[in-house]
Amino acid sequence: MREARIPTEELMGSGHLACQGCGATIAMRFALKALGRETILVIPACCWAVIDGTFPHSAVDIPIFHTAFETAAVTASGVKAGLEMRGDFETTVVAWAGDGGTFDIGLQALSGTAERNDDIIYVCYDNEAYMNTGIQRSSSTPVGSWTTTTPVTNYKKRPKKNMVDIMAAHAIPYIATASVAYPEDLIRKFKKAKAIKGTKYIQVLAPCPTGWKLSPELSIWAARKAVTSKVYPMLEITENGNKLTVWKDFEPTSFKEYIKPQGRFRHLKENEIEEIAKGVESSWQRLLAREKMLASIPGLDT
Amino acid sequence: MSKQIKFESYREMPIRPMTLDNMLWNETGSWRNVKPVYDNKVSPCILGCPAGENIQHYIQLVIDKKYKEAWETIIESNPMPAATGRVCSHPCMGKCTRGDYDEAVNINAIESALGDMGLDNPGWMRESEKAKKKKVAVIGSGPAGLSAAFYLARGGYSVTLYESEKALGGVLRWGIPEYRLPNCVLDRVIESILNSGPISVKAETVVGKDIKLKELEDSFDAVFIGVGLMESRKLGIPNEDCEGVESGLEYLKRVNSGDNLDSSKKTVVIGGGNTAMDVARSALRKGSDVTVVYRRTQAEMPAIASEIEEAEKEGVNFRFLAAPKEIVAEGGKLSKVIFQEMELGEPDESGRRRPVPLEGKTFTMEVGRLFTAIGEKADLDGFVPEIDTEWDLIKVSGEFGETNSKNIFAGGDIVTGAASVVEAVAAGRKAAEKIIRIFIGEADPPKQEETEFGIENINVDYFTKSNRTLKPRISVEEAKNGFEEIFRGFDEQLLQKEVDRCFSCGVCNYCDNCWVYCPDAAIVRKDDRYEIDYDYCKGCLVCVEECPRSALSIEEEGK
Ligand SMILES: Cc1cc2nc3c(=O)[nH]c(=O)nc-3n(C[C@H](O)[C@H](O)[C@H](O)COP(=O)(O)OP(=O)(O)OC[C@H]3O[C@@H](n4cnc5c(N)ncnc54)[C@H](O)[C@@H]3O)c2cc1C
Ligand SMILES: Cc1ncc(C[n+]2csc(CCOP(=O)(O)OP(=O)(O)O)c2C)c(N)n1
Ligand code: SF4
Ligand code: SF4
Ligand code: SF4
Ligand code: SF4
Ligand SMILES: [Mg+2]
Repeated sequence: MREARIPTEELMGSGHLACQGCGATIAMRFALKALGRETILVIPACCWAVIDGTFPHSAVDIPIFHTAFETAAVTASGVKAGLEMRGDFETTVVAWAGDGGTFDIGLQALSGTAERNDDIIYVCYDNEAYMNTGIQRSSSTPVGSWTTTTPVTNYKKRPKKNMVDIMAAHAIPYIATASVAYPEDLIRKFKKAKAIKGTKYIQVLAPCPTGWKLSPELSIWAARKAVTSKVYPMLEITENGNKLTVWKDFEPTSFKEYIKPQGRFRHLKENEIEEIAKGVESSWQRLLAREKMLASIPGLDT
Repeated sequence: MSKQIKFESYREMPIRPMTLDNMLWNETGSWRNVKPVYDNKVSPCILGCPAGENIQHYIQLVIDKKYKEAWETIIESNPMPAATGRVCSHPCMGKCTRGDYDEAVNINAIESALGDMGLDNPGWMRESEKAKKKKVAVIGSGPAGLSAAFYLARGGYSVTLYESEKALGGVLRWGIPEYRLPNCVLDRVIESILNSGPISVKAETVVGKDIKLKELEDSFDAVFIGVGLMESRKLGIPNEDCEGVESGLEYLKRVNSGDNLDSSKKTVVIGGGNTAMDVARSALRKGSDVTVVYRRTQAEMPAIASEIEEAEKEGVNFRFLAAPKEIVAEGGKLSKVIFQEMELGEPDESGRRRPVPLEGKTFTMEVGRLFTAIGEKADLDGFVPEIDTEWDLIKVSGEFGETNSKNIFAGGDIVTGAASVVEAVAAGRKAAEKIIRIFIGEADPPKQEETEFGIENINVDYFTKSNRTLKPRISVEEAKNGFEEIFRGFDEQLLQKEVDRCFSCGVCNYCDNCWVYCPDAAIVRKDDRYEIDYDYCKGCLVCVEECPRSALSIEEEGK
């Protein structure tokens, strides 16, 4: 048999409590394959706090510290500090939170950790709403989307918060987006983050079939089309916020195709879809312009 | 699997909540209502190949650089890939799924490269099986006869191969010109077949004349007839026997045996099949100005499309919708031909539109030489009345070439009428396998399942468009000045480039996708396969959706 495409070690096992086709579990499986056993997870309230299993069991074969909704980053900082006090400078500490716990309620704690440049990896698995409590809108929910708190009569009108820009403003050494549809890329980014000292922020698109009203088998499909339709650009920000690298080497696909099987967008009318698609394109152009602009400033990326 | 942990009292509990075991007690397989199963299909190319070559499989072996195993895979169904790789009309490629995406995989060129490797590595041919007592007579050494002889001899049965000509090969030898299939290649192909087991050759022996069919029937345990179509059909018009009019087959035979023919005359070839193309292009190479006259249009020509294209490029002229009406001879020698103009009418039983004469419209051409190539027919003299015939061909009852006579089998053009090399090869093998099964008292294998498979079964997100890799070739200028082989084989680099385009339709090629994406870590990756752990598979079907090639199927639970 050919060599395995990704590491074969399984630190996330079967029997967990996620729904069928859950992107968040795929994200965890890949991340742990990249990071290995010398890792501690800090998980606030979110789906993953449940997915992991029931006390005294855990689907994940490394320590998890469960913490309060708003405290993922700072708890991870604390765990890291504690380990260092005991002379352990090796173990990677990972805060693993949902988009609600990151974009909204955990933002303050994350900002503090990032400002101090504490040596942790902060992962936001982004399923674009508060899924664990029944699909409420978060500031990560994309414009046009239905949630239980943004019903179709009053769907979400505000754009998704640009969390990557917020993190870039903290001048931390590494920021990346990833998608569960691209395992090799995701694993590469986690390995890279592990090797860097300071605060690393990785935002992983993790489709939620339940909350997106998407047939579970299309979970990876959606994670792929989000990228190829430019809705969810794959990028890395290095040099303390000064260098932006955007992945462009893909066959572009349409926004309409991406949203079509997702029930959360089903109410959108043709003209609304077009309007949102325009917004997607202009965000993409702005991103490319930013990449060029940063590259054009001499000495910035050294 | 872990146990569910029960605490009898709070004293048994750890002082702070902590994990004591994994979640394997929680058999999430019970959530499932549909079930993914590994289920390889038969790739369409395999169904498209009359010989049923396991194309998908040998292409994967080539990707792994297992060239010997790839060659062995072809040899299981076709003993002459170096020949078919050059002259086959490749219906496999017509079925190739990739054709509905960008361009069909160049299966034919891959086959030819492997065929040549086999010729360069005679050691790859395995020893024939232990010698058996039973023996078989094979009549005719065209592709059908050679194929039958090969599979019988490989199985350890001694074969006596009867051939009326001096050299073996049938149409491969005296029909197809050297610029398509060089004699030196054919010699090696035949040598490899003759060396594969106990085959003795009786050349220049016409069955029916030099030895009777009855004698063979009596002294052998079985007989295979693969005598092909030896005679040219006549035009049936006045002066057909005058000097200057010749059957295309006779001409090709002479060209192929190295006769140095003059040919600067104005030449006309009547017909639209492979024979017409070979005659026209051979005459062109001998210096003639050549026009092919065909009674329908190019779209209806039965010749292999690329042959027509090459003939055009080389400068063969075409005159469509015309048929010879009368040959004008002067002093017993051909001088002119009067042609009837035609138009296309209603489709005939072959589905092609029937040519009908345009009343009163004729034209005359000065012609130095006229070749007829309107079809070949059988010479059944040595076989009737013993063998039943139908439409001047041998009548067979089953799919293995069973004739009315118990131990006599037939296959190739003599059964199908003018067909193709690969069909003859298939018929020879099928008859040989049937004969062996009769010898050892084995039942026929079940028929291959015909699965529907198309581009909709391919997850095209995993592929990028690319052009078919073409065989390198000599220029048209170089080609038309001689009989040098036009198309050259793939080197390893071109071969690897082209095999990489194969989708591996319906057959797992260990791409890992299903295992990689399973959200429940329910797929176990083994050395030579994957296994789904149904205790935990939740039936999300991500694996099925993300399989690039539909090598997984869905089953409903509880059915
Ligand atoms: C000019 C020409 C070009 C062609 N080009 C192509 C092509 O490019 N691709 C393709 O796929 N097909 C092509 N074909 C068709 C293909 O060659 C035939 O379908 C194929 O050769 C049939 O194989 P066979 O073994 O049935 O018969 P044959 O190849 O005709 O072989 C029959 C053999 O039996 C021998 N024989 C006949 N009678 C007796 C007897 N009484 N005793 C002993 N031996 C006897 C003959 O001498 C001959 O050697 C072409 C055909 C012709 C005529
Ligand atoms: C302070 C506080 N407020 C509310 C909650 C209830 N709560 C638990 S998980 C959750 C939603 C989490 O959403 P997100 O972070 O996006 O993760 P997801 O469930 O989508 O994976 C909420 C609102 C809580 N646990 N604590
Ligand atoms: S609700 Fe969505 S994110 Fe949560 S477990 Fe189910 S699929 Fe995963
Ligand atoms: S892509 Fe490959 S497996 Fe599929 S039909 Fe073509 S050659 Fe056969
Ligand atoms: S991806 Fe895994 S859980 Fe989903 S159907 Fe396939 S084996 Fe089952
Ligand atoms: S996804 Fe890949 S490894 Fe899995 S069945 Fe399909 S071809 Fe085989
Ligand atoms: Mg969420």
